[in-house]
Amino acid sequence: MLDILGTIAGNILSLPGIFGLALGMMTRNLLLAAIFGAVIGVIETYIFAGFDFSQAEPLELTIAICVGVVAGCVGRAIRVRGATV
Amino acid sequence: MANNSSNEKRPGFIRRIWNGFWSPSGVLSLGFLLIAGFLGGVMAWGGFHWALEETNTEQFCTSCHSMTKNWDEYTETIHYNNHSGVRATCPDCHVPHEWQYKVKAKIMASKDLYHEIIGTIDTDEKYEDHRLKMATSVWTKMKTTDSRECRNCHSFEYMDFTIQETRAAADHQKALDEGKTCIDCHQGIAHGLPADYLEQYKLIAEGIEAAK
Ligand code: HEC
Ligand code: HEC
Ligand code: HEC
Repeated sequence: MLDILGTIAGNILSLPGIFGLALGMMTRNLLLAAIFGAVIGVIETYIFAGFDFSQAEPLELTIAICVGVVAGCVGRAIRVRGATV
Repeated sequence: MANNSSNEKRPGFIRRIWNGFWSPSGVLSLGFLLIAGFLGGVMAWGGFHWALEETNTEQFCTSCHSMTKNWDEYTETIHYNNHSGVRATCPDCHVPHEWQYKVKAKIMASKDLYHEIIGTIDTDEKYEDHRLKMATSVWTKMKTTDSRECRNCHSFEYMDFTIQETRAAADHQKALDEGKTCIDCHQGIAHGLPADYLEQYKLIAEGIEAAK
């Protein structure tokens, strides 16, 4: 339980959370925002697995993607709510 | 809300803040907002990072009463006191350097606060009762990360096997060949070991290898 919470928090405070949010803010398209977030999640797991996918933990990958997708969608919501362009 | 009933049109306090937050600013320029946001961000992040590092010192770790026993054991070992004066402190072995794993370790350590308060390991006897369980979680972590924290300082590549004692050199060569990791052989490197540690470690190692 703590293990999963910790992984989620670690992801929110690193690439998926922060870049996901930033990239999400760059689009008004929900699908695109979610894809941006997911891609960041994959990239992060890849980097931290030392550029070797066989080393990546499936659970960590899943959590990174989920956090990225959520962050991208939140970023997109901020864009829609807070900008007219 | 009670204060709202007299005036139906006026939205509630939180609603007004929320609406104001998302309205374009009439008085502040975009540049002002960007610079202010940047400064606020630097301060918030810097402060957060500073606070996190404060919890990453030996003084912080051993400020808990529960940690006095393993502190005493650790001060007898080579990582506390040796001929070169280079040390490994608690966070060196127990907290990863990689940012996201570090955050994870810090979150997981919040349970330690709870156990310090309720006194789960506040006497030597209680500590011994829990040691195997605690050591098991450290071993599991080190085994799955290929002893990542040891490798922040030690590395097979830079070991001169010719000046190591024969047994060490032979075992390290074997470790390289068989893909073994530091904790496979160096349990108890900083603390006392529970009686049945070898069987328990074997179980963990087999479990992890089977899962791969
Ligand atoms: C902060 C750096 C650092 C970390 C992390 C670290 N060590 Fe060390 N280690 C040292 C230093 C420094 C020495 C002592 C070198 C000397 O002899 O002066 C040492 C010595 C040792 C020795 C030699 C013991 C002896 O009796 O000669 C072993 C074995 C060892 N470390 C294993 C480990 C293992 C296993 C880990 C991971 C759990 C680890 N170290 C983590 C720095 C570190
Ligand atoms: C296959 C078992 C095995 C593995 C795996 C292993 N060691 Fe050792 N190591 C030994 C033995 C045995 C000794 C010699 C006895 C001792 O000093 O504890 C030793 C000694 C050492 C020493 C002291 C060398 C000397 O002569 O001063 C260091 C430092 C050390 N190990 C670090 C490591 C590190 C770091 C790792 C992981 C990268 C590691 N060992 C993995 C078995 C192993
Ligand atoms: C050289 C690396 C190293 C250092 C330094 C170190 N530890 Fe450990 N610690 C370990 C390892 C490895 C284990 C796993 C159990 C074992 O093999 O002894 C462990 C286990 C533990 C445990 C689980 C219970 C137990 O006794 O096994 C606690 C609690 C702990 N360490 C706290 C600390 C504290 C507090 C410090 C600083 C005073 C510290 N450690 C310094 C390597 C280290």
